[in-house]
Amino acid sequence: MNWQIHLPALVLAVPLLGAFASPVAGLGGRATRNAWMIFISVLTTAVCIMLWQKVIAGGTAVYVMGAEAWNITLPSGLSWPVRIILEVDAFSAFMAVVGSIAALAGAFFSLRFMDRFTGLEKFSALYFLLVTGMLGMQLTGDLFNFFVFLEIASVASFGLIAFWRDRPEAVEASFKYMIISTISAMFILIAVGFFYGRYNAVNIAAVARMLQMGYAEKIALVFLVVSLAMKCGAVPMHMWTPDAYAEAPAGVTCLLVAVSQASLYGLFRVCFSLYGASLGSTVVPWTIIVMGVLSMFIGVTMAVIQKEIKRLMAYHSVSQIGYILMALGVGLLALRDPQAMADYGFTAMKGGIFHIINYTMYKGLLFLTAGAVFYSAGSRNLNELGGLARVMPQTTFMFVIAAAAIAGLPPFNGFVSKLLIYQSTFAVYPLLAVAALVTSVLTLASFVKVFQTAFLGPAKKTYENVTEVPASMLLGMSLLTIVIIALTLFPGWTLSHLVEPAAKALVDQAGYISAVMGGGL
Amino acid sequence: MGMYAILFERNLIKIAIGITLLEASANLFLIVLGYRTGGSIPVFTLAGEVRSMVLPTPQALTLTAIVIGLATSALLLSLIMLLYRHYGTLDVREIRRLRG
Amino acid sequence: MLDKVYSGFGYWDVFIWLLFFAISAALVLFVRSMGRNDYKEGTDQDEIFYGSNPVPEDGADMGVPAASAYWGFVEALKPYYNALIDIHSGIASDYVGYFVLTVAIVAVLVLL
Repeated sequence: MNWQIHLPALVLAVPLLGAFASPVAGLGGRATRNAWMIFISVLTTAVCIMLWQKVIAGGTAVYVMGAEAWNITLPSGLSWPVRIILEVDAFSAFMAVVGSIAALAGAFFSLRFMDRFTGLEKFSALYFLLVTGMLGMQLTGDLFNFFVFLEIASVASFGLIAFWRDRPEAVEASFKYMIISTISAMFILIAVGFFYGRYNAVNIAAVARMLQMGYAEKIALVFLVVSLAMKCGAVPMHMWTPDAYAEAPAGVTCLLVAVSQASLYGLFRVCFSLYGASLGSTVVPWTIIVMGVLSMFIGVTMAVIQKEIKRLMAYHSVSQIGYILMALGVGLLALRDPQAMADYGFTAMKGGIFHIINYTMYKGLLFLTAGAVFYSAGSRNLNELGGLARVMPQTTFMFVIAAAAIAGLPPFNGFVSKLLIYQSTFAVYPLLAVAALVTSVLTLASFVKVFQTAFLGPAKKTYENVTEVPASMLLGMSLLTIVIIALTLFPGWTLSHLVEPAAKALVDQAGYISAVMGGGL
Repeated sequence: MGMYAILFERNLIKIAIGITLLEASANLFLIVLGYRTGGSIPVFTLAGEVRSMVLPTPQALTLTAIVIGLATSALLLSLIMLLYRHYGTLDVREIRRLRG
Repeated sequence: MLDKVYSGFGYWDVFIWLLFFAISAALVLFVRSMGRNDYKEGTDQDEIFYGSNPVPEDGADMGVPAASAYWGFVEALKPYYNALIDIHSGIASDYVGYFVLTVAIVAVLVLL
């Protein structure tokens, strides 16, 4: 079992190796390149699941990069850590598993979807760099390392969004995303600089132990919260989301959804583990809740009037992120008060975290089905599509499952997480639950519109020759469908084994700190 | 200064210059954090008679940040070139086919 | 695995819902099976009901295009939607402007 202690580093090393060896694998032609892509994706998912099992069994896992042994966090004689330390607690492992499953589905889907493109070994390399960046963001215990992985993921996604170089809209979308992403990254860098200047350390656990709120820390908190919320797609910084998600190739969009979850992870790591009990006033939780409510509402009302299928789904992405932000904001609000935590805070956090995995799975599936429709019918415009259910039955079936899950229809998993969120936010302020319910109804409305116009309806002459998508694309989509159905049928197991350890690990700031500072040796 | 250029300039190249300016200021901020009064360069063998040294860690952080900034600037400029080829204009108010 | 989910306020059991759907599906199939199957295919008996207008040949002429779905909803909220669409202008530097505005507002709120 000796190699298992190296699992955190392996999770980062495998996709990185995949990225750099992709051009080499591409020399052997299409078959080797595809085989390499699938091999690395499956290996990454397997390693993430093993890491998750190890963390559940053994507590927070720590890995020091470059030390003599893997767990000497505090070198002899010093009282604070000096190397880059990967710290994996249950929440990080959970998000790594979710992200790698989404990456695997996107990789399967992209095998045939990208047939009409050239330069595919660069696509594969960029894809794995994005996976590395996402996993690195989720596993690291060091603020500057987080910034570096954030930039790795961002630069890889700029390249992937603009992959369709011949379409001016794709280049425009990538450019807009790039401008705002670079500016927010600079804000994060300045915030990290604040921390370094005050405490002479950039390790999250070390800074958390020494933190005392002053003006500089408050400004750093504001920069970090707003920049990370922007990268998730919270209103009013969400304008890049519909452009970028619509213009990227469909497998990439599935992965971009997972990457925005990684920045959501960063947001909650900062709020819960870095600041934690020293947040002081309730301004930041309420800001997050207000951003969440605005995102939900503006996202879904803009989605109702869209004409293009992927842009509509991207606006839904904004509104679902609003749900998660609201739920975790309520959890943050209850952080100081153990009684409130037991009443509604913990339920809100469980609902929010369960919603993260639900959202990634069904949103990924929705984007993949939209990509399948585009691949077969050649159009993304809802005004032109119609009557595709006759010729694409499997895609229609999976779309129905995903749309019912996102709208929160019972018995699907979307309903369970939304139920937890409704009930806990109602205890805080009834209007929040009302906003969430209205959003849910409007979500259902817009997905009925998509289903009706794209799939139902009479068969159109222009689409007479449309056939079902190839098998590998179906495989990618059915992977996500199987996960959604599993989450639907076994919510109890999911909640107690996946979500609750993650929620407990988030709330437990002292445990996070002591894993690096106290219990190193 | 950089923020002003990004927010209010219309030419895409000027926006890119604004971004580079912003990055340079962030990197400068990081290096200055490591300054200790009267310190010399943080190299053991070359510093000569040494009393206190400037901190080397922010220099490492800044170097990484400079490289990242280089990568994003390169990508930004190449995308601007592609945009010019597609749209024929460099005005940010014209490049808005994706709206609504 | 096959247990209920207890939130702090109630519980959720998947299988009761699945049972409900199974029973209602059985009812629907039963009602459907009571239809007649002695109609002649291909004649007028087989066509859909299109408001007693002649049925168009190409499916594209039937039905409401997606842009006009929810027309009533959008019309009722016209002032809100006009403002909303104007905000989503598509200009890149406006996006950065919103970001900086948010940082400023939240900073003021936090520092007070």
